[in-house]
Amino acid sequence: MDFAYTPEQEALRDNVRTFIQENVTDEVRQEIEDLGIRRRGPRVRELYAKLGERGWVGISWPREYGGQDGSRIDQYIVEEEFARAGITVGGAGSGAPAILAAGTEEQKKYFLPGLINGEISFALGFTEPQAGADLASLQCRAVRDGDEYVINGQKMFTTAAHYASHIYLMARTDPEAPKHRGISIFLIPMDTEGITVRPLWTIQNEPQAPAGTTYGDARTNEVFFEDVRVPTSCLLGEENMGWYVGAMGLNLDRVGASRYLISVQRDEDIVNYVKENDLGGMNLAEDTSVRDRIAELWIEAQVCRLMTMRSMSLVEKGGNFTYEGSAEKVFAPEHGVRTTETIAQILGPYAQLLNGSEDAVEEGVFAHNLMGSFQSGINHGSTQVMRDQIARRGLGMPRN
Amino acid sequence: MDVLPNEEEQMVKNLAREFLEAECPPRLARDMEKDDLGYPPELWKQLADLGWLGISLPESYGGQGLPLTYLGLITEELGRAIAPVPFHSTMVAALTIAEAGSDAQKQDLLPRVGRGDLVLTWAYSEENPRLLPETVQCQAVEDGDNFVLTGTKMFVDNFVAAEKCLVACRTAPASGDGAGISLLLVDAGSTGVSQIPLTTLAKDKQSKVIFDGVRVPRSNLVGELHQGWPIAQEMLDRGTALLCAQMVGAARKDAEMGIDYAKNRVAFGRPIAAFQSIQHICADMILWVDGGQLLTYEALWKMDQGLPASMEVSQAKSFCNDKCEAVVRSSQVLHGGMGFMMEFDLHLWYRRVTAWTMRLGTSFEHRSRIARGLLDQPGRVRLGMNLEVPA
Repeated sequence: MDFAYTPEQEALRDNVRTFIQENVTDEVRQEIEDLGIRRRGPRVRELYAKLGERGWVGISWPREYGGQDGSRIDQYIVEEEFARAGITVGGAGSGAPAILAAGTEEQKKYFLPGLINGEISFALGFTEPQAGADLASLQCRAVRDGDEYVINGQKMFTTAAHYASHIYLMARTDPEAPKHRGISIFLIPMDTEGITVRPLWTIQNEPQAPAGTTYGDARTNEVFFEDVRVPTSCLLGEENMGWYVGAMGLNLDRVGASRYLISVQRDEDIVNYVKENDLGGMNLAEDTSVRDRIAELWIEAQVCRLMTMRSMSLVEKGGNFTYEGSAEKVFAPEHGVRTTETIAQILGPYAQLLNGSEDAVEEGVFAHNLMGSFQSGINHGSTQVMRDQIARRGLGMPRN
Repeated sequence: MDVLPNEEEQMVKNLAREFLEAECPPRLARDMEKDDLGYPPELWKQLADLGWLGISLPESYGGQGLPLTYLGLITEELGRAIAPVPFHSTMVAALTIAEAGSDAQKQDLLPRVGRGDLVLTWAYSEENPRLLPETVQCQAVEDGDNFVLTGTKMFVDNFVAAEKCLVACRTAPASGDGAGISLLLVDAGSTGVSQIPLTTLAKDKQSKVIFDGVRVPRSNLVGELHQGWPIAQEMLDRGTALLCAQMVGAARKDAEMGIDYAKNRVAFGRPIAAFQSIQHICADMILWVDGGQLLTYEALWKMDQGLPASMEVSQAKSFCNDKCEAVVRSSQVLHGGMGFMMEFDLHLWYRRVTAWTMRLGTSFEHRSRIARGLLDQPGRVRLGMNLEVPA
């Protein structure tokens, strides 16, 4: 075991921090605030181009597709520093792990460089009105017609669909097969004819959550497919094997810097806040009960960090997860909820003040977090489903 | 960065497990609860032959000089097997002698420890069991070439089995920086030493030890006079991290017994392991043990690297106190009435892990240290940074 980063990795971290200080300017932040981080305006595009030049996106991907053949730990370091600055680099929803594992040469050559320079981004088209936790019961249909597939159906809670370049779509290609064996994945440009996106507004809307809030997106979407015709080259992996291709990507989506940070950033925030402020004249940093609870949260945050490091260590060694990714996806989001709710009791009525309110604490991030932290335990596989997976895959317990 | 044991570490762990599964059945733990000495000397000798007793002692004194993490892995496996041996107390004292003792002391004692000829223990806690410098009230007064030691120590592990005990005592009045404490190595059989056995939840050997004008030769002073607090603090931190390893080992085994039981116990026409309410308890047990294990490994690794580890030790112990307890209690719940039966082995683990949660620092004590590290020194905090409990 080795719990330290190498000197080279520490140097990389310093470089990334310096880069962020120099390049994530107030103008860039303003653009992110106006447009959201995933919908890239000109300044953010420029930023991503610079990242690409430095080889900081997809470090662990093969060189021939724009990566560096580097270590997953290095990639994690870059992702963590950018996530702390409110900027997504790789990580959740990138689609890349599955494309690397199952894509054709042509797909890899097209998508991976695009993901690196920021010209391509995916909305994840998984959930449907009647298929959430039981995702494999999805009904969105893709029918082969010569060199094309014809897609009809509806997706739900499709975050980023209103600005992503592509959708990473799970659809049913064989309605006769057992439900897990009749699903395929398609990578489809969002501007394809027949795709309609309608907004769904989250409770983080009005006022908009400040940057860094756990699930602070004001908007998600429903996406409708009406006789959408796509070439067969959009298929990722083999037809009807999409469940397994998707599982590969999802497993890696569940872990890493962004999931970890959204679960623990409030821990750092509350420590730093009570150290630096006497809210309403209360000396919270010297309150015995507050101190005990803060220490308790801090310990859990360390467990979140170490579980993330465990996943990274496994990936770096080329090992497979049996239950470790699911473990992280239970512990971290539930910790995030405990932290958020504890902070409410530490700060008292100030913690209910939303962004823009008179006397709001830290732009209302703690209040908005109360509307978002539980979401982290729901999306990408609920903590209940994750516990099923730990028990069944990790502990060999039977299905009921 | 690789938080998983490497191949060699895993091999040491596997070998330890194989040996203990063959040689240290739960029956032994059960028998030793009624034994006067509390451990089987034959097993102790076997551990010495395997090299475990000297695994992290210096090579120049007959040890193997392997990193503390290796000792941690062995301790974890001994915890898993709830092995009734005075391993923890001997290692805590021996490692402190290896760190702070004189060459003569090391020469005299460490090779004997490694050979299995010397059982040791240590004594810090008193009537007020908090592990702070000001709770040490035992007095040692200089008298020619001797100290004269008077006072009472509480919760001393394996005193009935130990030949020598490393005692924290006061040689000068308490001061703010912890000065005035010294460490004396006392022969358990010295005139003026008596012990009263404590009947613990674990039914292991702990004693209240009374020192009544005990003469201890000056040559038995470990470290500098009055300067014992930093040594004691390191001893306590090391002992705490090793106890966490022991707890994690025992709690994981206990969880596995619960999971196995659930797979075999049939109710409502199916194994109860098929019920999600049961599955989710089991998933949580594994999450908790994993968390405790990762925190413990990090603490041990940092200590081995000579890095400050006070925060990591307290993180591990506080989490293990709460979560290992939750694990063994959950396993009792999974077992229903069976787990409550004396003839069924599960309680052997439950009682030990539960007792260990109260030793070497409660959750509150450790969280209070962590709060000091987080809140009582300037600067912004960030996860992953090196933090230390301020003196």
